Amino acid sequence: MYLAPLVAVFLFLVIGPPFLDTAIISQLTKILCFGLLAMSLDVAFGYTGLWSFGHAGIFGVAAYTTMLFFKYTAIHNFWIITPVAILMAAIVAAVFAAVAARSSGLYFLLITLALGQLVYCVAVQWKPVTNGDDGLWGLPYPQLGFPFSNISYYYFTLAVVALCAFLLYRFTRSPFGYSLVGIRENEVRARTMGYNTRLRKLIAFVISGSFAGLAGILYVYFNGGIAPENVGMYASGMAMIMVIIGGTATLWGGFVGSAVVLLSQYYISQLTPARWPIFLGALFIAAGFFAGGGIFPRLACLWKKAVLYGDAES
Amino acid sequence: MDGFVINILFGLSYGMVLFLLATGLSIVLGLMGVVNLAHGMLFMIGAYAGVTVGKLTGSFALAILAAVISAGLAGLFIERGFLRKLYKRELDQILVTFGFIYIITNLHLWIYGPYPRSGIVPSGLSGAIAIGAYSFSFYRLAVIAIGTVACIGLFWLQERTRIGAVIRAGMDDPETVYASGVNLMTINVGAFCFGAMLAGLAGIIGIPILGGVTATTGGDIIFVAISVCIVGGVGSIQGAFVGALLIGIVTSLAQRYYPATAIYVMYVLMVIVLVLKPSGLLGRRA
Repeated sequence: MYLAPLVAVFLFLVIGPPFLDTAIISQLTKILCFGLLAMSLDVAFGYTGLWSFGHAGIFGVAAYTTMLFFKYTAIHNFWIITPVAILMAAIVAAVFAAVAARSSGLYFLLITLALGQLVYCVAVQWKPVTNGDDGLWGLPYPQLGFPFSNISYYYFTLAVVALCAFLLYRFTRSPFGYSLVGIRENEVRARTMGYNTRLRKLIAFVISGSFAGLAGILYVYFNGGIAPENVGMYASGMAMIMVIIGGTATLWGGFVGSAVVLLSQYYISQLTPARWPIFLGALFIAAGFFAGGGIFPRLACLWKKAVLYGDAES
Repeated sequence: MDGFVINILFGLSYGMVLFLLATGLSIVLGLMGVVNLAHGMLFMIGAYAGVTVGKLTGSFALAILAAVISAGLAGLFIERGFLRKLYKRELDQILVTFGFIYIITNLHLWIYGPYPRSGIVPSGLSGAIAIGAYSFSFYRLAVIAIGTVACIGLFWLQERTRIGAVIRAGMDDPETVYASGVNLMTINVGAFCFGAMLAGLAGIIGIPILGGVTATTGGDIIFVAISVCIVGGVGSIQGAFVGALLIGIVTSLAQRYYPATAIYVMYVLMVIVLVLKPSGLLGRRA
């Protein structure tokens, strides 16, 4: 039943861009990168109930790793750098989860918020390596044997993100994925049934972190560089807000949230270049009141009604 | 040795500011289950309003009054207007308080401009006492005194009064408190606004110690406040006090002996505490 709209969106993403402005294509690439980040966060946040407010830190570790390889080593091979960067993200995610493991809910959120800020502080403070607040720039598109442009990099991102979306979809529909929902709903019961809940939460967080790292890698190539502002609280908050606005534990909600937040930010900042945070903040507050449960579940519900109504008519 | 003592004292005065800032966050989190991410904004509102009024009137007392009232009103607005309707909806609370971070930060940038403002030190406190080869300002001594008095007062309020008893009970078992005929909602608003006022007070007396306030101060200071809550444990005055002083002193010593580590050291402390005791040093619950 949900296949038709999904295919329609995917077709738009495949066929649409050649007819669109380059600035909009850049926005779409950004939406895909942050959509993947939000989606990966949803695995930890929505499905497992691990409220991570530090995912931009994990995202940033992979982005910085990619950047540092380019800047300070002779290794420029995409197929070597990328696994190392994902591994770094996974290690950082494992550390986050290990430190915060014994807490849950808002306490987990506060602890990961502080840990994410630790990554931010390293990026700001370790000036000889990370160039402080200014960040590192000048990263070209990955060398994969064919020349990248704005639009072809968009298609590359789309392909990678679509593959990741499929993998994450399968993961959340696997027995392991369902056990995570069980842990979220009632951890004591899951433990009584013999699940090693702490290990499963750790694995879920590391998987989530690995995909967040991949999102960071896609973003750093798109952006041509990385600065601490992409790593800190505002970036982590954005990722979490995308998931909440889009709908938690829906996976696709992350993309909806990413599109809503980034397009709003893009258009509002064109209208008022200096005052857009006020309007974006007001949008978040309005979303807190009126988008309860998230946009994606509501859209799905509307579609379901439309289909049922259509069936009843015919 | 004098250098060590003076840095402990520096840390103590910074810690007192952190204590005033973090108490409200800690109590609100323990009592209402609300993470007010905009709590740092209340600090900044108090700081800016206090400095503006203080520079205008030349009176330190009026500056403090302006800081406390403005932060209290902002807290009242956020609680009554928004958070009250989102009780037990943690995710929506995150959206709303995060939205306020954007709005209040940008408003302050708009009103006060991008340049830092320095704080007000009343003329009576501009001197310093000598400790060996170093000097320690009266102002910092006064801040330590204010913090100590506030801590004793708040502890008394928590342990010895009816309101304190209701708040402690509300953290442990809100349903029973309701069933006993206590309107916990009123207590919640009161606690939220009182915490906001303390954050405003921390703002105005903390600027000279932080070395100035800018529009990003509110977003930066929330991390310190959160670390205080995590290290000390959520939901008690004594927890916030111990966490604040520990972080204040450790940060100050790090600034003296290993300046490059000064901004990490509180997170390191946080991780150590979490590994040893996940609920914080004096926490009510994990």
